Amino acid sequence: MSDLRLRLAQNRGLIGAILMFALLYGLYSVLHPRGGSGPLLVQNANESFALVLAAMAQTLPVLTGGLDLSVGPLMTLVNCLASQVLNGGPADLALGIALCLGAGLLGGFVNGCLVVYGRVQPIVATLASGAVFTGIALLLRPTPGGEIDKDLSFGLTYDLAELAATFGLFDDGKAPWFAPFAGLPTPVLLVVAIVVLVWLPFRASVTGRGCYAVGSSEGAAYMSGIAVDRSRLAAYMLAGLFAATAGLYLALQTGSGNADAPQAAAYTLNSIAAVVIGGTSLFGGSGGVVGSIFGALVLRAISFNFRVFDPGSWLGALADPLLQPFVEGLVLLLAVSLGAARVLRVRNRLHLFG
Amino acid sequence: MLGRHVARAAVVAAALAWAGSAAAGPKVVSGPGEDPKCFKPWDQKTGYLQWTARKPPFRVALVNGFVGNTWRIQMVQTAKAFAEDPSVKPLIKDFRVVSTGTDAAAQLGAIEDFINQGFDAIITIAVSPTGFDRVIRAANRSDVVLVPFDNVLDTKDVMQVNEDQLEMGRIHGRWILEQAGKSGTILEVRGLPGNSVDRDRHLGFREVLEAPGNSYKIVEVVGNWDDGTAQKAVADALSVHGKFDGMFVQGGTTGAVRALIDAGHPMIPVSGEAENGFRKLIAEKNIKGLSVGQSPGLVAIAMKAALSALQGKVMPQLVSVPIPMESYKTLAAGKNYWPELGDNFFTGNAFPDCGVNLSATEIMAQTKEDKK
Repeated sequence: MSDLRLRLAQNRGLIGAILMFALLYGLYSVLHPRGGSGPLLVQNANESFALVLAAMAQTLPVLTGGLDLSVGPLMTLVNCLASQVLNGGPADLALGIALCLGAGLLGGFVNGCLVVYGRVQPIVATLASGAVFTGIALLLRPTPGGEIDKDLSFGLTYDLAELAATFGLFDDGKAPWFAPFAGLPTPVLLVVAIVVLVWLPFRASVTGRGCYAVGSSEGAAYMSGIAVDRSRLAAYMLAGLFAATAGLYLALQTGSGNADAPQAAAYTLNSIAAVVIGGTSLFGGSGGVVGSIFGALVLRAISFNFRVFDPGSWLGALADPLLQPFVEGLVLLLAVSLGAARVLRVRNRLHLFG
Repeated sequence: MLGRHVARAAVVAAALAWAGSAAAGPKVVSGPGEDPKCFKPWDQKTGYLQWTARKPPFRVALVNGFVGNTWRIQMVQTAKAFAEDPSVKPLIKDFRVVSTGTDAAAQLGAIEDFINQGFDAIITIAVSPTGFDRVIRAANRSDVVLVPFDNVLDTKDVMQVNEDQLEMGRIHGRWILEQAGKSGTILEVRGLPGNSVDRDRHLGFREVLEAPGNSYKIVEVVGNWDDGTAQKAVADALSVHGKFDGMFVQGGTTGAVRALIDAGHPMIPVSGEAENGFRKLIAEKNIKGLSVGQSPGLVAIAMKAALSALQGKVMPQLVSVPIPMESYKTLAAGKNYWPELGDNFFTGNAFPDCGVNLSATEIMAQTKEDKK
């Protein structure tokens, strides 16, 4: 019993984000004429995927007590790279995907080196590397465009039925046992797969736990014999990998690359907001990627709702096109404040980590 | 290896199946189209599209990208005012507006959302000229009329609405030619570098001025379509070159003219954008000015085109909207400029050829209503 209570207390941010998302998405689904239907889920999942991955990327540096301002630019860089390499035969495509993910890891490695060995403040180091990434993105794709393999694009950005049909699995997705799963959006499964195959093993590893330790108290972590440098470096590299996945997916989704600097900046800022809503402390040491996923979903769900409010009702007044950024900001502020409210009630700041 | 071949075959089959299901959407037909004075085809090669006719009233959505400059705000207000216009109101039963910011995924999602909600037409300013294949496919599958305008897409699969930027540049060039004579030093204040609109206006302008028989010295500066930047750029150019015989400003004209006034430069012919501030200065300082603009009122033409397409009319694939312009001879206070309103307002809102006559006062009324 007390174990459950402890677990609940430790994951209060995550639970808050899940509840908030359930509330906002529930409202949207109720108001939407096709709420909860397959195509709508696919569309919502598609729209959220890049931001979810960007938020996951942002979580790791934040856990170590840093911040990564290059998440958006790195994602844009990989998006532009993908628009150059994602075509040709199956072998070319596999190589292309590997190249894109490799570029992300490399970008993250550079960030990590600047922070760990260069001893530059993370916020400054990633601001600079972000500018460099945007520059490379522009070099790769001075004007928006490019070509991306259509089959790969269709296969990965719809539901499982489309994926199976594209890659000829399970009798083109018509196998009877496959029917109950056919409507599941592929992007949702991709996120689940990344969490299960990448994040959970990483968190359980010594290096992963090291990230939390470094974020909580770098001195204590060092004294306990934790490989501080390695943990930090790993955090930035994993962030690079997640950012690359976001960029890759955006390329598949739009079928093109675009070195759009304002868009990159928007993703960076939203990823930080998502991390905070998801209950990860900006001081580092507590939180996690799953919370950030729901944080990103909360952000997206806020803007989903603007589309379904009846302009005649009082909700519609909130969705006035010129008020939308204001309302979005207000809900965001509310979400972040709810997470921070518990600080007011603690007698000792150490309880925050208990 | 065999598996891979089987997979490829399945891919082809899937692609074919998809091509079959995408048969909905507009038919490519031959012209002439509906109301060619208003919906003027871009050029002779422009094709025509026709959707299945359906009964009004319709559900229409406007998916804006970035919101945050005067032009966009005015565009949104114009759209709302036009939806309330007595000629349009009976045709629309539900009009929604969302602004998605500069995020392509969010804009694509919003468009797809309105398609899923069963809207009949979606008007949009695309955040990127590419990447919309997916929503075009979704729109066609559900027989939704998707109309990008202003920042249009590199595709021939949807109906789009814009003003001809190259022609706009030529109009500016002709005015300078007419007002400043065939020779002299001309100051050209360009827009945001790297943008296709800036490029096209520049090329059109140069085409006229550099035609055989003219001998101009053209000084080029960059004003970013912004009053502050243009004012500084013009002030710098004046201090270097001393005197000009004419000026062409792509945007930020109010600032550019202010720089002339501040430097005590004699009033020369100026061809510029449609900012209210520029028009106020033309009247105040007796400038031989021409004011031509990319109007936020384009949104009204895009809406009108969508409504027309929904009623099964034959429409050009790319609509060239008549360019609204006024010269110092035709300016009239309260009609095409407003001395009591701010400088940042874009005046070119009326398109008489299309029966779209949304005056600034109507748009201001819309603003007031929102403040309640």
